[in-house]
Amino acid sequence: MAAEPIVVIRELTKSYLQGDLNVIALNGVSLDIQSGEFVVLMGPSGSGKSTLLHIIAGIDRPTSGSAMIQGINIANLNESQLADWRNQNVGFVFQSFNLIPVLTAAENVELPLLLTDLSAAERRKQVATALELVGLADRGHHRPDQLSGGQQQRAAIARALVTDPALIVADEPTGNLDAKSAGDVLAILQSLSRDAGKTVIMVTHDPKSAAYGSRSLHLEKGEITA
Amino acid sequence: MTLASFVVKNALRNRRRALLTVVSVAISCGLLVTLLTLQRELTIPPESEAASLRIIARNKVSLAQPLPAKQLSIIEKIPGVVAASPFTYYGGLFREETFTSFAQFAVDPPRFRNLIVEGRVSEGSYDDFINDRTSCFVGADTMKRYGLKIGDRMRFTGTFYPVDLDLKIVAVYQGTVDDRGVFFHHKLLDELMGNPGTVGTWYLRVASAQASNEVIARVNDAFANTSAEVRAETERAFQMGFISMLGNVKLLIGSVSTVVVFTLMLVTVSTMSMAVRERFRELAVLKALGFRRRELFSFILAESFGLALVGGALGIFGAWALWTGIDLQKLTSGFLLYFEVTPRIMATGGVVAVFLGIFSSISPSIAVARLSVVQGLKTLD
Repeated sequence: MAAEPIVVIRELTKSYLQGDLNVIALNGVSLDIQSGEFVVLMGPSGSGKSTLLHIIAGIDRPTSGSAMIQGINIANLNESQLADWRNQNVGFVFQSFNLIPVLTAAENVELPLLLTDLSAAERRKQVATALELVGLADRGHHRPDQLSGGQQQRAAIARALVTDPALIVADEPTGNLDAKSAGDVLAILQSLSRDAGKTVIMVTHDPKSAAYGSRSLHLEKGEITA
Repeated sequence: MTLASFVVKNALRNRRRALLTVVSVAISCGLLVTLLTLQRELTIPPESEAASLRIIARNKVSLAQPLPAKQLSIIEKIPGVVAASPFTYYGGLFREETFTSFAQFAVDPPRFRNLIVEGRVSEGSYDDFINDRTSCFVGADTMKRYGLKIGDRMRFTGTFYPVDLDLKIVAVYQGTVDDRGVFFHHKLLDELMGNPGTVGTWYLRVASAQASNEVIARVNDAFANTSAEVRAETERAFQMGFISMLGNVKLLIGSVSTVVVFTLMLVTVSTMSMAVRERFRELAVLKALGFRRRELFSFILAESFGLALVGGALGIFGAWALWTGIDLQKLTSGFLLYFEVTPRIMATGGVVAVFLGIFSSISPSIAVARLSVVQGLKTLD
């Protein structure tokens, strides 16, 4: 028997007003993603790929349709419930890393754990494991401005991993990186999907990056075309 | 890392701005405390409880017009009057001074004894003052200021009165609202002036503050339609009259204090708004990571509260240390007597700092509450 998909999207629409203009970002998108998949969302600018990613990650709300993640329709959660849900179930990787500049790499990784009941020792242990996993074990005490772009993105991945979420969303994670660092980051994401069973959803423009995924979806004008 | 250390690191991320904010809050709070202390200093006499028990009766025409000495026997018979003494301002210059830096009054020593209720004789003997017509009874602050001791002589050059005084210090008092005055025998002044049979004012004491209005009316009535009508009022009202000559001091200082607090509020609100606005993207990231509105609000509140509190504490305790450490009485030639930064004034400054901390976090918190994660992330990319 096939396992229940971790992400079940049905007839999802998202529209918003831009001045007087009603912009349709997503137009009746339906989609299933199995646990452990590495799904790449591709498409031109304005195609709705980032909007879809944001709704799946629980940082944006659909206009209509349903977004069931791990059996929960996140559109029905209130803001506080959604925040808790994100903390426990989603790891974020952004294009511009978004590390807090006044904190060290280890402290940045520790941030999501401050919302949990873990003791300081347990938090330190999980932070060390996450940093180890991305190859930054010896860089934990460095601030972001003391790390290269690739190292910063790896620290961001460690932050995304540290709460052991089922879902990792990455929005153009290699957009600000050189080819070598981009390769390293993509390899880590691939490994998380393939070896650790994490579901990874990544938005990218780059076909080379898309090659690391197990499945690619193309969006255009708010609809999945392929 | 703890949430507290996270807040501290955020507050200190722009050290120059944090320092400037703390300094501006400190200076403003220090200024506020100084103004409140000045206001208290200028209104101490009217706030003295004993001052409401004493009545000063002066010539109804003007304070400069004398009253007949024979009025005393009538005043002493008025029901409710416990004690009465002539009280004539001499206004002489001490030593080589060019202005009168402390008051000298001619009194009737035996009667005057019953008028001072809150002070005590700290050195010498009041009986010596009564028995020696050329002696004087001096406030402890004046003794200290001029390095005087019992037995020393005080020489005054008359300004209002065309006679000079040469007085021997025989007793010292302290514990009154103003421990600077010098009191001497009215008889001496009378003799030197050729016994004109007049006094400057009458100084009375009533049994209770409740009785004072009735006694005032009786004193005024007693001399109504005479050649020397009097105007009696409580010492509190009399001194308020002097203060009112400076204008509405309370309103003036209150207005300046309000402006200080308002300016302070603008500074802290502006600082916190800037600090939060430039961190919109980080706050959006924190929201994405699972931090809720109330946690972000706590961060902002703690940060602005911390800056305001540190600045407030520095300003309040700085003002306290400054005004406690400086001999303002000497520096202002006796104009400012105590200039005491009281716990109440410090607490007022503290309340203002706390209010600022809370108030300045409201606007940024609302902005953060309204911030959607997607919008916040868009501001960065």
